[in-house]
Amino acid sequence: MRTFFAVLVSSLLVGASARATPEARPAASVGCVDCHLALDDPSVTPPAKAFADDVHARAGFTCASCHGGDPRAEDQEVAHDRKKGFRGKPSAREVPLVCGTCHADAAAMKHFNPSMRVDQLSEYRSSGHGKKLSQGDETVATCTSCHGAHGILPVKDARSPVYPTRIAQTCNRCHGDPALMAAHNLPADVYAQYTRSVHHEALAKKGDLSAPTCNSCHGNHGAAPPQVGSVANVCGTCHAVFADQFKASPHWEAFAELGLPGCVTCHENHLIVHPTDAFLSTGKDSRCASCHEPGSEGAKSAAAMYADLLRLQKETGAARASLAREAEAGMEVSRAQFDLARADEALTKARADVHLFQPYAVEKAVTTGLTVARAASAEAARIAREREFRRKGLFVSLGLIFLAIVGLVAKIRDLDRRRVSGGP
Amino acid sequence: MHITAAEPDQSRRRWISYLLGTSLGATILSFLYPVLRFVVPPLASEPSLSEIELDVKASDIAHNSGRIVPFAGKPVLLLRTATGELKALAATCTHLACTVQYRAERADVWCACHNGIYDTNGTNISGPPPRPLAKLDVNVRGEKIVLRRS
Amino acid sequence: MSEARRLSSGEAEGGPSAPRLSPLAWVRDRLGWDDIAHLAAKKEVPIHRHTVFYYLGGMALFLFLVQVATGILLLLYYRPSATEAFESVQYIMAEVPFGWLIRSIHAWGANLFVGVVLLHLASVFFLKAYRAPREMTWISGAILLFLTFGFGFSGYLLPWNTLSYFATKVGTDVPAQIPGIGPLLSRILRGGSDVTGATLSRFYGIHVAILPAITTLFLGLHLILVQKKGMSVPPSVERERSPRTMRFVPDFLLRDMVGWLTAVGLLAALSAFFPYELGRKADPFASAPAGIRPEWYFLSMFQALKYLPAEIAGVPGETLGVLFFGALAVVLVGVPLLDRGSSAGRPSPWWNRLAAVALLGALLLALLALLPAPGEATS
Repeated sequence: MRTFFAVLVSSLLVGASARATPEARPAASVGCVDCHLALDDPSVTPPAKAFADDVHARAGFTCASCHGGDPRAEDQEVAHDRKKGFRGKPSAREVPLVCGTCHADAAAMKHFNPSMRVDQLSEYRSSGHGKKLSQGDETVATCTSCHGAHGILPVKDARSPVYPTRIAQTCNRCHGDPALMAAHNLPADVYAQYTRSVHHEALAKKGDLSAPTCNSCHGNHGAAPPQVGSVANVCGTCHAVFADQFKASPHWEAFAELGLPGCVTCHENHLIVHPTDAFLSTGKDSRCASCHEPGSEGAKSAAAMYADLLRLQKETGAARASLAREAEAGMEVSRAQFDLARADEALTKARADVHLFQPYAVEKAVTTGLTVARAASAEAARIAREREFRRKGLFVSLGLIFLAIVGLVAKIRDLDRRRVSGGP
Repeated sequence: MHITAAEPDQSRRRWISYLLGTSLGATILSFLYPVLRFVVPPLASEPSLSEIELDVKASDIAHNSGRIVPFAGKPVLLLRTATGELKALAATCTHLACTVQYRAERADVWCACHNGIYDTNGTNISGPPPRPLAKLDVNVRGEKIVLRRS
Repeated sequence: MSEARRLSSGEAEGGPSAPRLSPLAWVRDRLGWDDIAHLAAKKEVPIHRHTVFYYLGGMALFLFLVQVATGILLLLYYRPSATEAFESVQYIMAEVPFGWLIRSIHAWGANLFVGVVLLHLASVFFLKAYRAPREMTWISGAILLFLTFGFGFSGYLLPWNTLSYFATKVGTDVPAQIPGIGPLLSRILRGGSDVTGATLSRFYGIHVAILPAITTLFLGLHLILVQKKGMSVPPSVERERSPRTMRFVPDFLLRDMVGWLTAVGLLAALSAFFPYELGRKADPFASAPAGIRPEWYFLSMFQALKYLPAEIAGVPGETLGVLFFGALAVVLVGVPLLDRGSSAGRPSPWWNRLAAVALLGALLLALLALLPAPGEATS
């Protein structure tokens, strides 16, 4: 049955591709659309309307390409004749096969988009959705669930439901449905969590399309959560430095033994917030305290790293404030401020080095930064002393002026005295 | 009238005039000194926001090397490609503002903080940076290098 | 000395048989120095209980010359463009040797100069020195006062920092309230519809070229008139008896110099202990910080305008305020013509009372203007 159907569809496709350009398409090939539009029925008219925008329509495909039947017949019985291959609306199980007829065929795809991948169907079969579907669960996502059925737009089109900024909402259509998720033993609040994350902020608010959304970590067609052991690799595709450090740290093996999900253990999987130094503290934001008991080696290491980071932050802040004060007074500080930027970089590096989970590494980075910050503070103090020196230099000139005034007063009194005594 | 008092009076007069003259002269000199020092321009060239001449000589920058120079308070990466072309890029990484560096072994521009990579045109090609590095105009007059904002 | 005197009395002036002069005597002869020296020697200053106020005029002149000298020095490094003005002042303060001193003296000197000018105005007024035949001296002096305010206002913008930018914005809004030519006047002042780099260029030209040129004319007139008409004696002293006098050169001049040196010392001390801060570069797109106010000599006018209601009998309140101050200026210029009584020798108590009220009112308004505005950091 499947082979017959495949032959039928491909033969229709060959015929369709022969009449490639929309302008060249004879009126009869849009027969389905004419009738369906005229019917003005909510179950058959919307698809006909939507198809006008479809990327497949632009490539020359028709309704019959996927649904079969005879598009040139005006009689419904003839048009919908099963013998002519008409199959109506494909069931959920049939959808991947219908799409896969072309999208899994490299030779076919070469006609239309040679650089497009053709492994979506095989990926889908390996996905959580695909596996469930093959077991008979028809409530899972198929091709049309995410891409749509009739107004399919290219991924690069911002209106497409699978455009990077819209993917999370598309997944949320099912993954945010409590009843549906409960039936599959999955949480229904993932979207709510993701929208509070830094990745969402980067993608949706800052417009950085390279920021991750659902498919970045879970895969597109082979959508499945990364295994516990793969988390670091997945995060590491972007956060390479941290992944390398983590793999070199004592946590790598420890987490693997305990079955902990790598990065997600401290950073969460969907609600990934901006990390702060407070992760290392013992307060409410602490991540270390959940495993390391107070007084343990781990807790001491965390406390040491936390203290180091805070110290560097404080010194850099103090140096910056002193320089700003001198700048406002009109002193030249640009060179010192330029050099102070090294301290900020040292802090960034120290924060990255936290992932080695060895206090000495953080201490090394912090020490570099502290040297810079202290040098800047010393420079600010020197500039302040120069300002003070000017005050002192003044006393010399004031002394001279005073002397001159004394001289003047003496001369005046002398003249007056001579005037009184009848002099010139 | 005051013939007897004339002599001490005369010397007193002389003394006062001497005091007045010297102190006034010294005061005027103490005014002139800062004025004259002021008029002589300092060695440091005036900070300009749009164009500066660098201290480093054009011949000091070897092929396939780069260095950081300050420009209006911000770091700029001055690099010479293997083919000899001088380029200048704003050296503040567009990710989290670390200072980038030139990597001779790969002939690219690298940010050590989070492994961001740019090509020698400043285009971000790998890692977290979301935007390319701004380019600056480089003009060479003999040994002098002049940087200007694009 | 005697040789030159002989020559100036009409004997051979450089004829073939003229006796040779020393270089100095030659210069003095050709410049007519001895005539000037003769005039200067004749100048006498009355001595009475109000003599101390005579020093104020010379002090104002001295401070003006200090401003000119320090201003010319600053000119060597200052750049009048919106992108470079702030940086050039920073350069002067930080890189140029003694630049901080020259700039601070110029900034503090401006305040001291305006203060002394106002004291000079007050003392001349209350001592009735504007009586006949010195009316033109007063009128030229009043114009010099307005020129002084112009110097202060135009110079204040030149560092292009936040405070001066916004103060200028507020300040150039005031002339716009004059009915009819107001908006045009404001446009001419600003070099556009807003305070921009064009305003800076314009104010710079006004501050270093236009005002100095006009001031030279009026100052020259003022000084010549003072020499020609001699020092005025206050009516209260005149009525008693004619006072004794002291010679201008050297007695009064030496005393003047004591004052001048004290002023220089004061300026140097202020520059070292309270260096004029530079603040932050002006950002036209930032919102104005709370508590923007003009220089202290404009505070009373600024505060008074704030109190005016938005409308009085259909006319915008600010317009009436500006017109009122314009009228005040006209009255100030015309004081000697309006107070004819004092020229005739009669006392003018009502003028004195009016002036006292005006002064106290201005002082009160200025103090009110200094109170922290809502949202302002009281530092």
